[in-house]
Amino acid sequence: MSVETNDGAPAPPFTGTPAGSKATPYVNSRVQRNEDARLLTGRARFVDDVHLPGMLHVAFVRSDYAHGRLLSVDAAAARERAGVVAVYTSEDLGAYSKPAPLLVPPPPIAGLVFHACTHLPLATGKVRHVGEPIAMIVAESRYIAEDAVRDVVVDIEPLDAVVDLEAALGPEAPRVHEHLASNAAAHVVQRKGDYEAARSRADVVITRRFLYDRGASAAIENRAVVAQWDTQAEELTIWDTTQAPIPIRNGLATMLGLPESQVRVVAPFVGGGFGPKIMMFYPEELLVPWAAMQLGRPVKWTEDRQENFYATTQERGQVHEAEMALTKEGLILGVSDTFLFDTGAYDPYGLTIPINTQCTLLGPYDIPNYHTEFTAVFTNKTIVTPVRGAGRQHGVFVSERLLDIAARQMGIDRVEIRKRNLLGPDRFPHNHEIMFQDSAPLVYDSGNYLPTLEQAAEIIGYEQFVRDEQPRLRAEGKHVGVGIACYVEGTGIGPYEGARVTVEPSGRVRVATGVGTQGQGHYTVFAQIVADVLAVEVTNVQVITGDTREFQWGTGTFASRGAVVAGSACHAAALAVREKALALAARLLEVEPAALDIEGGRVFVRGAADRGFTLGDLAGKANPLRGAVKPGTKPGLEATEYFGPDRGSTANGVHAILVEVDPETAMVEIKRYVVVHDCGTIINPMLVEGQIHGGVAHGIGNAFYEQLIYDEQGQLLNASFMDYLLPTATDVPPIETAHRETPSPYNVMGLKGVGEAGCIPTGAVFAQAVEDALGDPRFEIREIPISPNTLFNLITEARRV
Amino acid sequence: MNLTGTFTFDGPRTVVWDLLQDPVVLAKALPGTERLALTTEDRFEGVMKVSVGPVTAATFDVVVTLKDKVPPQRFAMQIDGKGGVGFTRGTANVELAEQPDGGTLMTYTSDVQVGGKIASVGQRLIESVGKMMMRQALDALARELRVRLEGNPHTP
Amino acid sequence: MLVRLTVNGAAYERDVEPRLLLSDFLRQDLGLTGTHVGCEHGVCGACTILFDDEPVRSCIMLAVQADGHDLRTVEGLSSDGTALNPLQAAFREMHALQCGFCTPGFLMTLTAFLRDHPHPTGLEIRDALSANLCRCTGYQHIVEAVTRVCRD
Repeated sequence: MSVETNDGAPAPPFTGTPAGSKATPYVNSRVQRNEDARLLTGRARFVDDVHLPGMLHVAFVRSDYAHGRLLSVDAAAARERAGVVAVYTSEDLGAYSKPAPLLVPPPPIAGLVFHACTHLPLATGKVRHVGEPIAMIVAESRYIAEDAVRDVVVDIEPLDAVVDLEAALGPEAPRVHEHLASNAAAHVVQRKGDYEAARSRADVVITRRFLYDRGASAAIENRAVVAQWDTQAEELTIWDTTQAPIPIRNGLATMLGLPESQVRVVAPFVGGGFGPKIMMFYPEELLVPWAAMQLGRPVKWTEDRQENFYATTQERGQVHEAEMALTKEGLILGVSDTFLFDTGAYDPYGLTIPINTQCTLLGPYDIPNYHTEFTAVFTNKTIVTPVRGAGRQHGVFVSERLLDIAARQMGIDRVEIRKRNLLGPDRFPHNHEIMFQDSAPLVYDSGNYLPTLEQAAEIIGYEQFVRDEQPRLRAEGKHVGVGIACYVEGTGIGPYEGARVTVEPSGRVRVATGVGTQGQGHYTVFAQIVADVLAVEVTNVQVITGDTREFQWGTGTFASRGAVVAGSACHAAALAVREKALALAARLLEVEPAALDIEGGRVFVRGAADRGFTLGDLAGKANPLRGAVKPGTKPGLEATEYFGPDRGSTANGVHAILVEVDPETAMVEIKRYVVVHDCGTIINPMLVEGQIHGGVAHGIGNAFYEQLIYDEQGQLLNASFMDYLLPTATDVPPIETAHRETPSPYNVMGLKGVGEAGCIPTGAVFAQAVEDALGDPRFEIREIPISPNTLFNLITEARRV
Repeated sequence: MNLTGTFTFDGPRTVVWDLLQDPVVLAKALPGTERLALTTEDRFEGVMKVSVGPVTAATFDVVVTLKDKVPPQRFAMQIDGKGGVGFTRGTANVELAEQPDGGTLMTYTSDVQVGGKIASVGQRLIESVGKMMMRQALDALARELRVRLEGNPHTP
Repeated sequence: MLVRLTVNGAAYERDVEPRLLLSDFLRQDLGLTGTHVGCEHGVCGACTILFDDEPVRSCIMLAVQADGHDLRTVEGLSSDGTALNPLQAAFREMHALQCGFCTPGFLMTLTAFLRDHPHPTGLEIRDALSANLCRCTGYQHIVEAVTRVCRD
């Protein structure tokens, strides 16, 4: 992977290290991961690996109907089954049965309408999606618990289901939430400039309808919760596959009536998050700890894969009616987009996803007039919360497709039309005047988009492909095409994260932070940052994440913010420890701190290296058993710092793809896939590549293979990996990556997030390339996924017209 | 799932009509039926075991209610099946028309919804299983018709 | 029913229900939690172990089927339980794992594959891996890790 700055020169790696410290920095180097040895030898603990004496197992009775009145639940036979310890229905919960909290109140956008309807732990009165939990069975083994599921007699009076977004808003539609006048969960309009005026001046107006369909996050590890109430210590310990252990701890403590200090949430190794594992509070997260306290025995629930398809949140269903107004030179005068967003049966996550869509549509382009309006719609389907990309792909799909169609119509080259509309490097910080999901105005902090686009075009060989190779291959009867798409991604948002850095007397450094880790390499990345500042070996830095006993303040891992926000906090805490070490050594050596260097874990006088102390020594001296610690100072070599950015930092990138399409079978083969990406300062290039590869694979899945298929009665028809297809090693091509850097001004290290980058423009770039490969102006791709079936039908349809 | 089709019985319409109302006959003819009884007028209740792909021997409590009867010409059915792996709900219409050669042409249409686990893992197979069960049932009814008329199921 | 088997060279004898899945037996009864369960219908491959030296999906097998057989799980790859064997070291070097949940399955599939095909091409590697699902890595670094270990 190559790294370049704006002027094309190789980027000097940012080290974040003050002068006079580590000679070869860890930041921006391919450090092997600290956590790998445990994971590779089967010694890493995941939640389902937790075994406690006397542990009980849970299975849930779930609704088979997407919509219905829950008339009665008869658990008598289940309770009598040998090995069943308890069966709980909504009635049994008593006052504990309360609607789950609204996690993300909508931002203060003028005129916003939002109806908060969150789920109950167990369905009461009505069921609103297939898989909604109705009863919880606790038994000596999961096998017995599942047997008992069949014993429970549930009487549901079926109601017609609301599935299609447009039909859901029709006057005849059954209402998912009957206290509301309709199935509209929210309505939001954001404006910039005057689109109508822009449209009247336009030479060309492109109007289209676009469809993006639901997909699952499909982490290979399903969710799990284990809870244990220790009656002697009076402490509740919960192991949870959550991306946000601290908020879970805080919320559960409140709900269960316990002081926060008596509740400990541990997110150990988590097998992939991708968004849904940050949804709080899942019914299972509310019920398993409660049951553990009721029964006085540890309780475990592990989701199986079929449950995961119903009970873990999903994302991506949207319908857009969009319009772009352009001059005859292809300059964008304005965009108008009205869309429907499927929020599923409840809306605990607020409007993060559709607001992301609104913001990300603007992309790297100069769009002076913008009208964006959405209605969030309740449907009788699984709850929708962010999944990697979180609504950004929809915005990118709409704007990139409109540009492609405009380019084709006006005879302008696709790369050329993009170049003409890119924001120049002198336009930063760029305020788009609409609100972003973090409740701050959408401001791009830094970026330089043209070199990124040019580099991507160059790597994929765009010009000579279009000029020479494509015509030649077409003459041979091959259908080959190129696609190139741009996007901008808001990352690294607040509110804040914190970190505590401690030097132990052994010289080992310990870092604790509140975010969880689901494969992003935090154990290594945070160690790299701290190791550079304290000039120690990265393997000598132990990082602890995801345990509320270790660190209690923070939000979680989501929205591509872990490295930016928690990493910045680690950096700040390490700097504070460094200052303390220097101050203490200076006092002991009777020199000024500026006369000291830190190298190899040792603080010493510059030019007289024998006069010094190891960091471990200093840690010991800072915590004496005799003598005094001066008033106003703290013992030990330890510091806790927090980082709370006002707003997120803006990453960007360009994806380019070469495909060959077989028009008979509608199979698409990806010949090449190129990503040029700017996520600011890179801490570990290997990990950044990994994030991009994984994101692209997920994007390929969404673009081509993955679709959650619901029938008209809200039944999910493909709730297994046999029918919901994840891309395999033969479906994902080798991915070529190149990196550019425009450091963020919002944090000292210049970091921007990268976790979701790979999957954001994939649908758009696929659609463009496949259209180009088929080369038929009658043929337009306006929906995702473009499965072979869909493509085949589109081809046949277009040919008939 | 829409199951629609026709079937010709070699026998008079009145006999076919009686067969289709007889729980003993239906219990034998419908594949997987463990029991089926007429509990009140025009209402059958029973238990069926169905296999769809990876889901084998799934037990369903079934209630079938007959409506709109115009003997011996037509009737409609309301079908409700509930089980541990899912449910079915739907309606069916049956028309019997006398044929010039003395046989009976049966025309059936049905719209049955399948839901729950069995729908989410067996989706691709539900329709073919439904068709197969229908074929088996009709063949069995045809054999039963011969028995009634001639006392020998193998008479051509 | 009584099951007698060896796992990673150690002998075990347990009385189990006939319907107990082999994956649950390994994880719960024997405490070998390195083998992971991702789908319980034989598609994702996270539960892959070696059964008489051949890779199998332990989630769609019963424990009683393992009676009299010799099994190997991810815990048995390391010589002492912590040191990394060459394949594991290559995974670490090439960043072929992120969350690590699918990794034991890949390691077991590859242990058998590389034993039988010590010099595979890139396409052969991808083909061999196509029955193990990974949601984190996009597979590229895994392929590079295999290439790396074959070079040595």
